[in-house]
Amino acid sequence: MTRGRLAGALHDAWPPFTGVILLMVMVLPPIRRATEASMTAHMLVQYTALLLAGGLLAQGLPARWQQAMQRWNELGIAGLVGSAIALAVLMVPRVLDLALVDLRVESLKLVALVLTGAALRLSWQRAGTVVQVFFLGNVLPMMAVVGTLYQDAVTRVCNAYRLDDQQDLGLALVWIAVGVLALWLWRLGLQRRVADPPELAISASTGQKRK
Amino acid sequence: MLRTASLSLTLALLGWASASWLTEDFKVWTAEGARRLSVVERPVPAPAAMVAGPGMTGRSLPDWLGDTGEVTIVIFFYARCFTVCTAVGSGLQQLQQAIAATPGSGVRLLSISFDPLHDDAVRLQQYALQWRADPGHWRVVTVPEAAELKRLLDAFQVVVIPDGLGGYEHNAALLIVDERGRLVRIFDDTERDTALAYARSIVRRGSAG
Repeated sequence: MTRGRLAGALHDAWPPFTGVILLMVMVLPPIRRATEASMTAHMLVQYTALLLAGGLLAQGLPARWQQAMQRWNELGIAGLVGSAIALAVLMVPRVLDLALVDLRVESLKLVALVLTGAALRLSWQRAGTVVQVFFLGNVLPMMAVVGTLYQDAVTRVCNAYRLDDQQDLGLALVWIAVGVLALWLWRLGLQRRVADPPELAISASTGQKRK
Repeated sequence: MLRTASLSLTLALLGWASASWLTEDFKVWTAEGARRLSVVERPVPAPAAMVAGPGMTGRSLPDWLGDTGEVTIVIFFYARCFTVCTAVGSGLQQLQQAIAATPGSGVRLLSISFDPLHDDAVRLQQYALQWRADPGHWRVVTVPEAAELKRLLDAFQVVVIPDGLGGYEHNAALLIVDERGRLVRIFDDTERDTALAYARSIVRRGSAG
């Protein structure tokens, strides 16, 4: 193997390797207990880390597999539909409570998060703007509504977590929804500028004026 | 595209099935909702536990709940609590007045402390005095044995967590225990009238049958 190929292999290997390490760390019982000690950490730290681990692992899938899967996931539609549904189910407050006391629910939750992370990684770039809008249009309002409910509820939605914790999480969910939307719009703007340089935009607009 | 569509549909069905399982056919979204639904569908017998409090030392909880043919409204609490528990305490006082207003109504109150380390006999007596609990209608006890207390809290799905300020947060509620000592219904602690009306309806049904 030449040095270039070795470097390439290392470059390809580090994301799945990081993914495996991250996944192993997150499922260690002490880490799991620590990240599940508060509702905010449970949803923001543990959920995010497992989604990330899934995404990194997916990057390590052989190109042939990715191509084979592509036939089942045109425009990333299946992956994004599955992800949107999984995220909706995982935001049901009872899931957080059950995961603490029922090992079946906890295991299914971990698997679902890793698969969702992988599905997002394999589908996002392939999905065009329209499919992305459809996905975000489902997930972000849902997050914002859940976040608002968590902040406004006078009772706790999870028996295992405190009310102030729930309110913190609610506020954070709303901000994350807003942040993701802002980030996506910003990137969309960048893409447009690349695809549609200013000179062309001007000539297109003058073209419209003439008409 | 057919494959993508069928995979999407399969994932949607899978999601629907798991959501339906998690929410008991979309009836409950929280663990507390599931708890309340489950006791309606499957009443929970009080597990064996010895309770102790003013005027009732060393009584078996299931025996006490089932020995007079009365329906008991059970409330879990801890005496050091001064925030929401003050509202709950005065709410119970009003419940006691309502019960006392109709003698022989067949309904009584039982406050069970889940903090036996702090709530000893003296402290429970103080609590009973503070809220003017009349032993004829309202008893205040704790479960001194830790293993028995845990079994009781588990059976009735009472979740107690530290509130970070030295006290506790818990799913406070009015638990209706029928004349056979089974937890049959759970109401919010603010739904006093509904809870009392429900308890009386069980008594009437019991005496009619």
